Amino acid sequence: MFRHNALRYAVLVVLLAAALFQAFTAEYFGLEILTEILILAILVLALDIVAGFGGMVSLCHGALMGVGAYAYALLSAKAGIAPPLAMAGAVALTGVTAWAIGAICSRSHGIYFIMATLAFGQMAYSYVFEALVFGGDDGLGGIARLDLGLFGIDLNDSRSFALFCLAALGAVYGAAVLILRSGLGRSLSGVMHNEQRMRALGLTVWRVKADVFGLSGMIAGLAGALAAQHIMYISPGLLSWTVSGEALVVVILGGLGTLVGPLVGAAAFVVLKHELSGLTSYWHLVVGVILIAVVMSRANGIFGWIEARWGDRIERRVADATRKPEPEEATSDA
Amino acid sequence: MAHDPGFWMLQALNALQLSMLLFLLSIGLTVIFGLMHFVNLAHGSLYALGAYFGASAAAVGGFWLGFFVAPVAVAGVGVLLYSGLIRRMRKSGPMAQVLVTFGLIFALLDLTRLFWGDLALAIQVPQILAGRTALLGIEYPTYRLFIIGLGLSIFAALAFVLSRTQIGAMIRAGVDNDAMAACLGINVERLFFIVFCVGCALAGLAGVVAAPLLSVTPDMGLQILIPTLIVIVIGGLGSLKGAVAGSLIFGFVQTFGAVLAPQLASVLIYALLAAVLVIKPVGLFPAKG
Amino acid sequence: MLETRNLDKSFGAVHVTRNVSMKLERGERRVILGPNGAGKTTFFNQLVGELSPDGGSVHLAGEDVTALPVAKRARRGLSRSYQKNTLFDGLTVEENLGLAAAVHTGKATRLWSDSLADPEVREIVEEVAEQVNLMPHIHAKVSQISYGVRRQLEVGVALATRPLVLLMDEPTSGVGPEMSKRFHALLNNLPRDLTMLIIEHDMDLAFDVADTITVLNYGEVVFDGLPEQARGSKLLKDIYLGSWEDA
Repeated sequence: MFRHNALRYAVLVVLLAAALFQAFTAEYFGLEILTEILILAILVLALDIVAGFGGMVSLCHGALMGVGAYAYALLSAKAGIAPPLAMAGAVALTGVTAWAIGAICSRSHGIYFIMATLAFGQMAYSYVFEALVFGGDDGLGGIARLDLGLFGIDLNDSRSFALFCLAALGAVYGAAVLILRSGLGRSLSGVMHNEQRMRALGLTVWRVKADVFGLSGMIAGLAGALAAQHIMYISPGLLSWTVSGEALVVVILGGLGTLVGPLVGAAAFVVLKHELSGLTSYWHLVVGVILIAVVMSRANGIFGWIEARWGDRIERRVADATRKPEPEEATSDA
Repeated sequence: MAHDPGFWMLQALNALQLSMLLFLLSIGLTVIFGLMHFVNLAHGSLYALGAYFGASAAAVGGFWLGFFVAPVAVAGVGVLLYSGLIRRMRKSGPMAQVLVTFGLIFALLDLTRLFWGDLALAIQVPQILAGRTALLGIEYPTYRLFIIGLGLSIFAALAFVLSRTQIGAMIRAGVDNDAMAACLGINVERLFFIVFCVGCALAGLAGVVAAPLLSVTPDMGLQILIPTLIVIVIGGLGSLKGAVAGSLIFGFVQTFGAVLAPQLASVLIYALLAAVLVIKPVGLFPAKG
Repeated sequence: MLETRNLDKSFGAVHVTRNVSMKLERGERRVILGPNGAGKTTFFNQLVGELSPDGGSVHLAGEDVTALPVAKRARRGLSRSYQKNTLFDGLTVEENLGLAAAVHTGKATRLWSDSLADPEVREIVEEVAEQVNLMPHIHAKVSQISYGVRRQLEVGVALATRPLVLLMDEPTSGVGPEMSKRFHALLNNLPRDLTMLIIEHDMDLAFDVADTITVLNYGEVVFDGLPEQARGSKLLKDIYLGSWEDA
């Protein structure tokens, strides 16, 4: 069950401050990296909801993001639907797609679930790759960003777009917390802890899994719609299973089932990728080795490790600080 | 053309050839899973390594040198992987295994680039296997027939080993219940090691025999991984029968799908996979009840 | 309230349930006795739908539920506990009970409200915690409570779906005789209209709660009657003594 604690709040505040600082001080390149981090963060929150709180380790979330991106591109650029509606449409469509995948895979567990979702992701990939309407290998260009001129905001400006993505991430984080604290989210963690018992109690397990997978898909779809607007061009590579794999890597590096951890992971991953690819063209090797090391260390990612080490201590200190000092202690000092 | 029996014969042979290649890959993966409950996503990378080792050896001593060097060299890599990583990951859950082997994919991908560069390599087919052979009224590339023959002989050999020899009995016992097998005095740890290495060798073999048909590139392992996984999920993890059935289903659906319904071909196999998962979530021929 | 007609099940050549017919009236407390391997748990699994019988039918409150899946039967009022603890291990006692109560009240699939904070759910949680004496441990995690308390929670979770029929598979298995007695006292204090079917291995303990007794042996009903009749029965002694000798 998801709970906030002092450490989690503290890390959230630090992350928010860092993002705002970057958004207001950075130049073009820094803003691009920030936006990339924010969009990846939205995607990995979607993945953490299903993987960290439902035990549904999905290898199709990259593809779901791709579905959102293509849906937005097609609806806005080809069908001529207004961008806000196109975005809503993309989110809804991805949600429905994810619901169907979740429903079909709900009876599979462990490695079967992983592989089944992988296969569905690849199905979407090869379909997009070959269907003419999606522009095939060449992808689609000329994707417009949302027009917020009404509020005096020009999203074609990198800074505004980064802040827009930050706002979206904030909303998604709030939504994720609400989902996990809802009846549905509670039942999901019940299913993760003991699926047989939840069924014996009368829960229609597949529906809960499919519903949460659908909600997670909506979030992934939002990430996709934002990614399409960010780069203004999309190609089938977006749906490739390595994107899903990377998202899973980020969740694991950050800390599965903590929501905050994957945010840390997203920032670390993107920064690491850019730093390393500047140094060497073999940055995958470094990421691979780090991933193996983290998993072999059996820590729950960067954040999980910090939480296991210092979480309790910080919690206690906060509790001490908020408690009124005993009168005896006060006098003994004097 | 569609009414020409020779055309269908050709397609059937193509399907069979693809099936045999996938069989070589999936059999290793599936037996390793059945025995050790270990899923090695880097199995495709071992296949790519096989192609590279093969190409390097072939450049020195011709195709046949590559053909024999590749499985041995990849088995050697398997020894390193087993003693360095796999043995320690055996008791971890499927997610940790998937992630570690995913990390391995990343690492091996860049290592092959580091050693062999980004340019595609090629292997020449030996003289004896070049050209075409007349078979049942059609001319079919001899090399592809060689792959079919190789796949069938490996299948026969494995079926024989598994059903008739003592080590086969030990493996079957281990797949059914490894704790019980250990109680019966089978050295399960050594058995795992041997099976893992044989699985790696078969992946390397698949790599080197596939190399003349495709070009040898760093991402060939990634490309073959998904079909291999589909094969074993459809067939059922851990069973020889499942690997055979899955390979044949994939080969024929893919090949005939491309001929009969080109628009749907790429999606067809995934739709089939979805259907299997809905009806039998553990595959058609699972190793255990 | 709960009835089986000619329930039959085989695993290959092993006939685990032979033509079992049994009827529980509303409020009846029936204990199923039988030696290890008599097919008691297999019979339970068929009642709740975790296993489908080869033949025969299961009726709940007058309706044939044989074709219904586990979850649907549970929602119609059939709830079970397991012989081996089947709890939500990382969660607290309160959360364990709350998840079950949420399913019963229909709050388990709501997106707009927290099921565990729901007043209706909280009421059931408190009530059940009182009934099976879990109040002192309500905020403890499952990993922090003793085995005996976990057995109480195991039944509590089943009880929190407010069932018509409560099936308990050896609720006191692994618990000492002293604690078992106290646990049976708790069961006796549950509302009289709750129908209970209890698997029990220990004959003496069975007499604490039973209105009626069924004895299974090799998947077959060999006795069906009142506890007083069972107590002196030579058949029962033979079965049990026989099984002791086997063991």
